[in-house]
Amino acid sequence: MRSLIYFVATFVAALILGIGSAWYMIERGSPLTTTKVGPWDGWISAGNPNADFYTRAHVARSGRLPLTSTVARYFVARTDDDGGLLSSDCEYLVVGGALNARWWSLALYDEYGGLIANPSSRYSYNSEEMLRHSDGTFHVTLSRNARPENWLPSGETDQHLVLMLRAYGLRETDSSGIGIIPNDRLPKIERKSCG
Amino acid sequence: MRIRLPGLYIALGLVLAGLIHIVAVLALPMLAPKNGYARLASLGPTNTMIQIPPAAPGQQAMPMMAPDIRYAFCRFDLTKGPVRLTSKLADDLFVIALYTRDGDNFYSLTGADMKRPDIDLIITTTDQTVEEAGVDSPESADSDIIVSSPVKEGIALLRQPLAGPSRTSYAEKALAAATCAPYAKSG
Repeated sequence: MRSLIYFVATFVAALILGIGSAWYMIERGSPLTTTKVGPWDGWISAGNPNADFYTRAHVARSGRLPLTSTVARYFVARTDDDGGLLSSDCEYLVVGGALNARWWSLALYDEYGGLIANPSSRYSYNSEEMLRHSDGTFHVTLSRNARPENWLPSGETDQHLVLMLRAYGLRETDSSGIGIIPNDRLPKIERKSCG
Repeated sequence: MRIRLPGLYIALGLVLAGLIHIVAVLALPMLAPKNGYARLASLGPTNTMIQIPPAAPGQQAMPMMAPDIRYAFCRFDLTKGPVRLTSKLADDLFVIALYTRDGDNFYSLTGADMKRPDIDLIITTTDQTVEEAGVDSPESADSDIIVSSPVKEGIALLRQPLAGPSRTSYAEKALAAATCAPYAKSG
């Protein structure tokens, strides 16, 4: 009797461990598949026909058709710099500088990847329209209410947020031609206030 | 029976967890009900260029579409022969990307790679030749880009990132002029 309980317990533990680890490595990535810089995750081989199984599963689950990483890179942030989940209840300041890319865009989504309705129909800022300071840096505020400079509205409903930075035609690449953004170039996401 | 070796259960559990992990990772792409290909494939027939409406709240063909990129796509089917894509370039930001059902981006071409303001691209399978399909003259064959596809069915996704808000209608017009059709033998 006791050995049966041990067997069942072993099996249940294995199921949780096996599926849990698979889910985590597909959903959030691991050092094998993703570049993690602060709050940003970038899948190194997304869209690449030679990609590993974790990356392929991630792309299939995402419902997206990303460009292969030699053409464009995508970085996703679900948290601020301190690791707190991005929430429409808080106000954030995103600060970044020039990226060595032909074109790039910073867009805000709800946690399911949907654009957030707002009166000014503003969902993103790209390299051509972002207002910049004289030193080349930009400030974007994520908040419910209108803010000066670059404002990405986070909507009226209480929800978690996802930021995506996409960069086309990165001029710096690794030996296999995959575009690189130096770590210190990815924008900082600072939480200002909540509630 | 007495449990003499609790370590055995731990080892068994870990091996089992490893196997379940591998099966889950391999099975997931097949179990994912709506990958990007499936989402676009349901929007229209094959070998037709379809413009995707600009992404807006509640109106997105795929999650995390860029609100500042205009998209069009063609689900190509090569079972009856090669398929031809043509498009005008609004600017060098234009990207054409070919995908398999699994979302592998096996070919891409950017506006920056192009020397001419329009794209004329023929997709074939590895066992089809464009000569068989009937190219009228060697000169026209020279001007075409021929891509050999590893799959009979796939998606060509055209992206035109917007170089500023004033470029929107220009970009939409360029994509609206894009075509996708079976590569017909011409006389």
